[in-house]
Order: sequence, then structure tokens, then C-alpha cells
Amino acid sequence: MTRAEHNLAIALIANPPAGSKLAAAKEYGVDLTLLVENLQLTTTERIRKLQSAAEFLEKVRHSVLLTR
Amino acid sequence: MAPNFEKLLALFGDAKVEMVVIGGVAMNAQGSAYVTFDLDLCYRRTKENIVRMCDALAPYQPRLRGAPENLPFRFDAETVKRGLNFTLTTTLGDLDLLGEVTGIGSYDAALQTSEWREIEGKKYLVLSLAGLIQAKRAAGRKKDLNALPELEALRDLKERMGGKE
Repeated sequence: MTRAEHNLAIALIANPPAGSKLAAAKEYGVDLTLLVENLQLTTTERIRKLQSAAEFLEKVRHSVLLTR
Repeated sequence: MAPNFEKLLALFGDAKVEMVVIGGVAMNAQGSAYVTFDLDLCYRRTKENIVRMCDALAPYQPRLRGAPENLPFRFDAETVKRGLNFTLTTTLGDLDLLGEVTGIGSYDAALQTSEWREIEGKKYLVLSLAGLIQAKRAAGRKKDLNALPELEALRDLKERMGGKE
């Protein structure tokens, strides 16, 4: 993603066009900044990020179970 | 245990199993921030492919997820031929192997709405955003419907950026 494309993406999520799916998602509570962040990554980087998040959340889940 | 997504993908990729990555991992590959704890694959139901898939997975002790430990289960070509969709747990993590995807159909249909993506230097077929939206809408469970606004926003954003990432 070039700087110009990134700027366009930031502008779109800051002020999504009325009636658009972007606007609907923002209204629904989707964090659109995460989408722009992910679109700057390669597919490999996206899967590594998922791996890291899944491992972290599993650890949290495990520690919560241990304290019960 | 969180799955080792890369190893699970690679074991099937290296064995030349014909498959399409679907579900949460496909969502992430397309740019979603959804966190998943299993790998979902749609596999081609030919005899040769099923054998390749079972052979590749055999060393990782596949068994039915949620089933009692003592329930006899053998994950082999005969079992897969008699069934269709399998929710498994393995030593590499949880894995769903689907012969058919709700809202899409079989492997051949999934193939039509998939695209190649490179993960850790290897290429895999991944369900497209349009395919994911179609599947989630058809599945209709609360968790599927909750994923729709994000997926539709992703498609909208990509389209407004000229299809670029």
C-alpha cells in the first residue's frame, strides 16, 4: 500500500460515505482502523498476527480456568 | 492449545492435498481482525486426495473433537469416504475438514471463488471475500452474521481503493 493509498483508506474510515458498508460496519462497532492496519500487511504477516493473538488468548483462557 | 496454523497448512500443502482454506484463517488472509482457534479446510472428495489428506494427518493423532477419549475412531480414507465434514483435534491443534461448505458447496464450487495466497513462502487457495460473505450469510448462525459487517466493510474498502491492498 502506497502512502497515497494509505491516506485514502484513512480518509474513508474516518468519514465513510453515507449508506456504505463501511459506514454500516462503523455503526455496528467494527474497528475499521484494524482493517487498514491489516491491509498493509502481507498474507504471511496477517497469519503470524493471528497466530500470536490466538496463542495469547489461549494463555488467558487457561489462566482464567486455573483460577476458578 | 492454539493451532499451529502454518504447520497445519504446510503439512497438507507439502502432501499436495487439494483444498481451499476457508473460515477464520481465510478471513485473516483477506485482512479481517477476527481471531479463530481452528483451521477450516474444504477438501476435494476424490479417492486420491482423501488418501493424501489422511496420510498427511496420520502422524498428528487426529481424533474427533469433543468425543470421549475412549471412543474408537480411526481417521482413514474409509472413514472420510463414509462421512463428509469432520471436526478434529490433532497434536497441531484443532482442524475442521469439510467436504462441503454451507452457501458455497463442494471443493469445486469453493475453487471457483478462491484465490492464491502466499503464506510463509508457500501458495494456498484461500476463499475470496465474496465467498466468505456468501458462506457466512448462508450459515446464518449468530457468530457468522456478526462477522458480516467487518467482511462487507473490507470488501467495500478494497473496492474503493481500486481493488488494491
